[in-house]
Amino acid sequence: MRIKMFRISATLTALLIGMLLVFLLSAVGSKTRGPLSDLLSFASGSVETVEANLILASREQRRSNKLKWFQVYRNDPALLKNPKTLLLGAFDNNTKDGFESIVGLEDSIRTTLPLIHIYTAWGSKPEEEFPALQVKSIIELGSTPVITWEPWLTDFDPDKYPQLRKLEERDKGGLADIAHGKYDFYITKWAEAAKKANSPLFLRVGHEMNDPYRYPWGPQNNTAKDFIAAWKHIREIFKKQNANNVIWVWSPHPAYGYFDAYYPGDSLVDYIGVSALNYGTVASWSKWWTFKEIFGNYYKDFVHFKKPIMITEFGSLSVGGNRSKWFTDALDSLPQKYPAVKSIVFFHYSDDKTTTQQVINWYFKNDAPVTRAITKEINRWGK
Amino acid sequence: MKSSNKNIWKFKEAPFAKSLDRFVLLVLVAGGIFSVLLFADWWFKEDNIDNIWLYIILSATLWYGIVRLVLIWINYLRVDKPLPIEAPQGLSVAIFTTSSPGEPLSMFEKTLAACRNIEYPHTTYLLDDTRDPAFKEVAERNGAVWLELVGIPGAKAGKINAALKLTKEDFILVLDPDHIPFPNFLDHTLGFFNDPQVGFVQVSQAYYNQYRSFTAAGAAEQTYTFYGPTQMSLYGRGCSVAIGANCTFRRKALESIGGHGIGLAEDLITSIRIHAAGWTSIYNPVIVSRGLVPEDFGSFCKQQLKWSRGVFEVTFAEIPRLFSKLSFWQKLSYFSIGTYYFVGATQFFFTILPFIFFFTGVLPARMSFVDFVVHGSFVAIFAIFIYLYVQRWMCDPSTERGIHWRGMVLKFACWPVFLLGFSLSVIDKDIPYIPTAKKAVTGYFTPFARPLVIQSLLFIITVFCVFTYRRFFMPESMLLLSAEKVWGMVAFAFIAFVMAVGGVLAALEAQNLTEEEPWSKIDLNNIKTS
Repeated sequence: MRIKMFRISATLTALLIGMLLVFLLSAVGSKTRGPLSDLLSFASGSVETVEANLILASREQRRSNKLKWFQVYRNDPALLKNPKTLLLGAFDNNTKDGFESIVGLEDSIRTTLPLIHIYTAWGSKPEEEFPALQVKSIIELGSTPVITWEPWLTDFDPDKYPQLRKLEERDKGGLADIAHGKYDFYITKWAEAAKKANSPLFLRVGHEMNDPYRYPWGPQNNTAKDFIAAWKHIREIFKKQNANNVIWVWSPHPAYGYFDAYYPGDSLVDYIGVSALNYGTVASWSKWWTFKEIFGNYYKDFVHFKKPIMITEFGSLSVGGNRSKWFTDALDSLPQKYPAVKSIVFFHYSDDKTTTQQVINWYFKNDAPVTRAITKEINRWGK
Repeated sequence: MKSSNKNIWKFKEAPFAKSLDRFVLLVLVAGGIFSVLLFADWWFKEDNIDNIWLYIILSATLWYGIVRLVLIWINYLRVDKPLPIEAPQGLSVAIFTTSSPGEPLSMFEKTLAACRNIEYPHTTYLLDDTRDPAFKEVAERNGAVWLELVGIPGAKAGKINAALKLTKEDFILVLDPDHIPFPNFLDHTLGFFNDPQVGFVQVSQAYYNQYRSFTAAGAAEQTYTFYGPTQMSLYGRGCSVAIGANCTFRRKALESIGGHGIGLAEDLITSIRIHAAGWTSIYNPVIVSRGLVPEDFGSFCKQQLKWSRGVFEVTFAEIPRLFSKLSFWQKLSYFSIGTYYFVGATQFFFTILPFIFFFTGVLPARMSFVDFVVHGSFVAIFAIFIYLYVQRWMCDPSTERGIHWRGMVLKFACWPVFLLGFSLSVIDKDIPYIPTAKKAVTGYFTPFARPLVIQSLLFIITVFCVFTYRRFFMPESMLLLSAEKVWGMVAFAFIAFVMAVGGVLAALEAQNLTEEEPWSKIDLNNIKTS
């Protein structure tokens, strides 16, 4: 009996110590992803740097050569905050393997875009960390990144972050939680990584915060005060991390009118971001809106902030009207008509499922009348 | 490595397992299993799947390896050795050793002299089919009985069975002719037969020519753990297996299964049949003889082909037939031994995986390389600790301990051989019986290394193409985003490339091996038995 007891207790002790060892190891590992993963990330980062230096640097025809005029802007956030010319850019959803689709779009409209726009969500998945590789890639291409950073708070794994509220309750008051520091662990790391990008970048966080139907960070879950508090808190963290390369884009939805209440203040905003998408007759709630109807009519409301304006999502579907005419009307003398607009970012999305039940296609690079119209209008502006 | 270690002609034995050692081992195994569970939890996620078919194959090959690892760990928990029992007086004992055409006469001179030196009274028989009168002369000069057994099918096993009919001894030690037995050999086996249930007693196989070449060193390294902690654990689980040479059988046990098993893996067949007939077995981790390992890569591959084909034969033909007669651990152990050489197929898959990616862009899994390494590292850490920890139970830790990298290179480089053995088994095709070379076969490049040459060339050409494409043709916007994946795969293929090159170098080494008769230098009077 004695022997039996001894054996059982020895076995249990051994099992316990074994598990403890694993827990200890993983505790070391989970702290800021662990020394091993840092080392490996550093190694893979070095691979990219070596390739950039060895292969990219020795190429003759580089995209950045076509953007030589933009060089002065690229390294100067102050100049980007007040550019002397209108900066064009684009978002394209087919950029998983590289930005070739952007290059294709550029070929179709015969220009090279100084801005490239990407979307990234908050959360605990690896792809929800700061998109360092894409940013580096955009900078290597000679452009400046525009990042729309969406606070999808339910993307944080409850197993990894038990201190956060339960999934189903997380969105209610989510912005207040951000303001109270519940997500500092994530924001701080992101800010740190953003600083390491070592180049200016536009950051559009919590866009369309005044739209109660679209995103969980909207008024259905939060107050305007909460939004401003969260914005201030995020900015403080970036300031603490010395991430001064970030240019802040505050981007309400124009159609919901009451966006003044969401404005965090002159000292905390660099750009006003406005989206101008014409859905045509694709959905029951939509009709063929002209650019003037979806942007021009609100222009004066944005101008009074006395900030440069970025049209962050610019595009039109072809259902229900003449798309090339839409672009011609929109772009015709745009710098003269809307002098506060300092940037236009094309919305080039081949299978958008985010707004309507169906898949809608914003692509126009193969629509020759449209690309001709765009090329013609932007060339008439002069540099 | 190039000089013969004088210390090897000395009796050695593995230590007993102390309670504290077992406890530490249990801690490590618990940690290891826990890490495997965590790794599994991370691996089997839908998010990780890219190409579903490749993912399934990759998962199967990876987890085939991990499950085997865990089985070995659990096996180790029973590591044990029998208490020595003095051999009783008056047993009748035979030693069988066989000679075949082409085997060097001088080797038999040494082996038979060593057999005569064995202190326990016995009769040595030379089972000869050389038709060479010189062999008879050698046998008789060394006090052995010469049995001419010509034209008997079943190679070595066939001759043993014929000899069983011609002799009467109760206990038979089957000794490979390249093994030089120490004078105290039988003192370490016969005592265990006091237990009437014991069917055979196996002792360690050790070698004396491992310093001769890279291949020899690697081949020897591959056996150290097996003849130490692995067999000791199998003994603890009641299923120590017979490994052809150096095995002492009880005649009744052999007769109960109709004689020695015949086939390419005749030892394993005999072993499983004896266990199925209800006999028990003993593994005594002592070094009481030393023999030869293949010195050149070609001979090594031949031996491995023979074994892999033979072992699969056991899996397909013996295990299903005898399954119900085996104990749980015997089932598990024989099945695990019987599927060992499947590693050729899994390595083949790991080898072609990067090339599939380079030429089609298809990937099995979406997980990042960094995540894989981070999650897999716990399993690796515990595996390494357990691997090093159980080395205390090697028969001769002072010469056998270490990181057996040569053995690993050889195992890796043998994937074409294992794959061939596996394929031949599946389609039930025979390979001819190939006796293992006793002397280095020199001056030619073995065909077994050709797949490795192709693999190495393919790697070099692929890296060249990948670099050229990336340097001159790939759109710059795609370069950085694909760099980690592509060079990660190149690194993965590079590991296999290094192993293949190791195999090719081992094959080339054969061309510079000097023919030597390693046994000629052995001084039988210098063997120390205490």
